[in-house]
Amino acid sequence: MKNILFLISLFSLFVCGCNNNQNQNLAEGDTTSLKNDTVHTNRVKKIFYNVPSPIEMSSVIQRSGAQFKSDVLCPYKNLDKYTSTTKQALMLGVYGSDLSYVRLFEQIQLAINYLSSIKKLCDAIEIPEDQGSRAIQRMEKNIDNKDSLLQIISETYASADSYLKDNDRGNTATLVILGGWIESLYIATQISDYANPSNKEIVDRIGEQKYSLGNMIELIKAYPDDKDLQSYLPMLEELKKLYENVNIEYVKGNVVTDETKKTTTIYSVAKVNFSKETFEKIKTLAKQIRTNIVKL
Amino acid sequence: MKTINLILLISLFAISSGFSQCKGFTKKECVPQIKPFTYNGQLNMAVLNPGDVAELVVTFYKGQDYRLFVCSQDNLGKVEFKLLDSERNTLFYNKEHDYVNYWDFHSNATQQLIVQVRVPQVEEEVAVAASGCVSILIGFKE
Repeated sequence: MKNILFLISLFSLFVCGCNNNQNQNLAEGDTTSLKNDTVHTNRVKKIFYNVPSPIEMSSVIQRSGAQFKSDVLCPYKNLDKYTSTTKQALMLGVYGSDLSYVRLFEQIQLAINYLSSIKKLCDAIEIPEDQGSRAIQRMEKNIDNKDSLLQIISETYASADSYLKDNDRGNTATLVILGGWIESLYIATQISDYANPSNKEIVDRIGEQKYSLGNMIELIKAYPDDKDLQSYLPMLEELKKLYENVNIEYVKGNVVTDETKKTTTIYSVAKVNFSKETFEKIKTLAKQIRTNIVKL
Repeated sequence: MKTINLILLISLFAISSGFSQCKGFTKKECVPQIKPFTYNGQLNMAVLNPGDVAELVVTFYKGQDYRLFVCSQDNLGKVEFKLLDSERNTLFYNKEHDYVNYWDFHSNATQQLIVQVRVPQVEEEVAVAASGCVSILIGFKE
């Protein structure tokens, strides 16, 4: 009998220990007001939040015709001064975002320098060579190919994220995402002019970060014991308050599925509205958070 | 008594091996299949049991093409997935498309969407319900 009790205890402990620590606020039995998916929602075990990658954010910069501004970048030479794992993870995200920006303007030498810094950070955070750092050799061979560079950046970060999460270091992966997201927001706000009509798409994209900010906050909340991550929550909550002044008017449209192309198009419309004052406040706060992240 | 002990030990072993199998699963088995789209770099993977549901909250940007790929271990059977809007209306349901494991999307507006994945229930009562890895991957095109 004792054996059975011991095994049951062990079994329970194991199962509980392996439950995902994220999103415990949305556990089993969550049946929020659904129209068509009640069958699906009777046992929600896990909820993930994704934040668009810096590459996605930067594509809008390319379309806007914005000029390259090197002074918005975080200097890659400061790398050795970041000694804590927290700072190194944040900087991995920051440099990834800078690299995504540099890539758009075909700044080859700068791109090599940033990727070299990223390689060193991967080593410092103990992401093995074959997981996150081998990209440097490939990049040197494909440096003149913008599409290859996109793949290399993407694969480097995907490998790092995958390695960290596979090894129960999701908090470190979240720091990387936070660093990258803030740097993207910082760059976008620094290079755009609210009053310039040709910057409308970038300005809208800055407003649309309202969604990503919410997801970023949820990601951080999943690691309540990580004091370094938690220290960024008040700043992000403050940013969230500013974003309450961003109004996204959403009008539903038709949803058309093309069976042969395996594609569904969502014909909705969204209008992003916020004042210059709100834009400037977001810009200022994004700079403050970014300064906090990159400070030595 | 011995039978119960044995069942519990097998259960423990099955779950333990499920977790270890999951390590590296997404990188090896799933990420390569997202091409020609660019993987967004965020691993969304969980060990699920029959009947379990997982959700991914994600932002699709205006004018961008996305591939949604649900990658799961074969032992889980026909895994269902839906794309829901923020009001949880169904925009796409793979059950209506022969349980396809990927689909491409284009959105004319930036919006927050929910990918909902469900592992099918097992038909019969079994001593140990098989668990397995499920990954939800998002790829995009510039």
